[in-house]
Amino acid sequence: MCQYCMTHGHGQVWYKNALNYARQMYKLRKREGAGDPRQKELDPESQAGLILAQAVEAKTADPQRYPELKKMANRLVMQTSVGQVVTLQEAMDIVDLASPIALMSCVCRKMTRGKVEDDERSYTCMGLGIGMFKWDRWPERYKGGVEFVTPDQARDWLRKWNKKGMMHSIMTHGTPYIGGICNCDYPDCLAIRYRLDYGINQLIKGHWVAKVDYEKCNGCGVCVSRCQFGAVKKEVTTGKTNIDMMRCFGCGLCETGCKRQAVTMVERTTLPGMRGVW
Amino acid sequence: MVRMMWEDAFSEIPRSIPRIVWSMDRCPTPMACKKCLEICPQAVFMLITVKNQKFVETDVNEPGAYAMHPLFRDKCVGCLDCVRACPAGAINIAFEGEGD
Ligand code: SF4
Ligand code: SF4
Ligand code: SF4
Ligand code: SF4
Repeated sequence: MCQYCMTHGHGQVWYKNALNYARQMYKLRKREGAGDPRQKELDPESQAGLILAQAVEAKTADPQRYPELKKMANRLVMQTSVGQVVTLQEAMDIVDLASPIALMSCVCRKMTRGKVEDDERSYTCMGLGIGMFKWDRWPERYKGGVEFVTPDQARDWLRKWNKKGMMHSIMTHGTPYIGGICNCDYPDCLAIRYRLDYGINQLIKGHWVAKVDYEKCNGCGVCVSRCQFGAVKKEVTTGKTNIDMMRCFGCGLCETGCKRQAVTMVERTTLPGMRGVW
Repeated sequence: MVRMMWEDAFSEIPRSIPRIVWSMDRCPTPMACKKCLEICPQAVFMLITVKNQKFVETDVNEPGAYAMHPLFRDKCVGCLDCVRACPAGAINIAFEGEGD
């Protein structure tokens, strides 16, 4: 169990606890000082966006200020919108925890590649819970509408994107409330990008970690192309795949792609050296 | 392959970031074109929805509804693919020590 399980899990893995899906997304909350024109307080999301942009720039242009901005950015994203990697199996279990389930377009992919997902075949994002009843308030966010599906349809959809090579993560909207499940890749997913390129923890590693069985692996290389985190490569010396478990985010894409069952997903906390690595 | 949080060898020395200027005058409807978003090998650009209104889906052909922001310009390698791809001449990139 990770830090979030301790603080939000109520004795369970936090994203397996239905309580964390209960709140409405985009619930209208009156903020302190709202309505007072002298107080131009930004909402936490916009504030996080500004600090993130400053941290991104500072990393290269102002290395002195970077650590502090990174810390601020980390604090803000953890309060507002933070993701954790889950395996296909976990994602397929999660769809039973909350309803309705709505497939929709990915906002990151739209922002970073201009990709418009406007029908049920192209949707790569999923909203979970009663907040989705209000999707039509923000048609620009849910461009193309949403597709309400049953848990079984949602599982088929998860399998489809997994096969194509997308990893899955849960994402909060006002931590610890989980708004849905994303199917992500690099560099389109902003959470992966902030984490890998800028050290901003908008994506936390999952509860599992991939380990190769050298007896079974024949070095075919399929898994290499499926890792969005750069943790897998072919080790020429041994002719087998090498997974750096410290870099692994635990998505299990290498495992679901391997035809020889040469990858095993190991529970992170069972390895003393991995317990603190998130 | 190395995509992990990397550090340049001399990362303690500030490195100048290219100045990337996008002109809304020349590109009033980026979402209707988005060639720069698609072509950049470094995925430097980020499209911002300026007009995000309740109950209204934004028209991609409405001038000023979207803006292009080179958020990840520290990753720009200077290949100028975006500049060449842009039909409107809306992107201007300058590295330190170079003229525009
Ligand atoms: S897909 Fe399986 S068999 Fe092929 S290289 Fe990866 S671990 Fe080895
Ligand atoms: S090594 Fe495997 S489980 Fe780990 S992040 Fe890469 S694809 Fe996912
Ligand atoms: S010059 Fe090349 S790397 Fe830089 S923004 Fe343009 S396309 Fe991207
Ligand atoms: S390529 Fe040029 S015209 Fe097209 S969206 Fe980018 S900046 Fe605008």
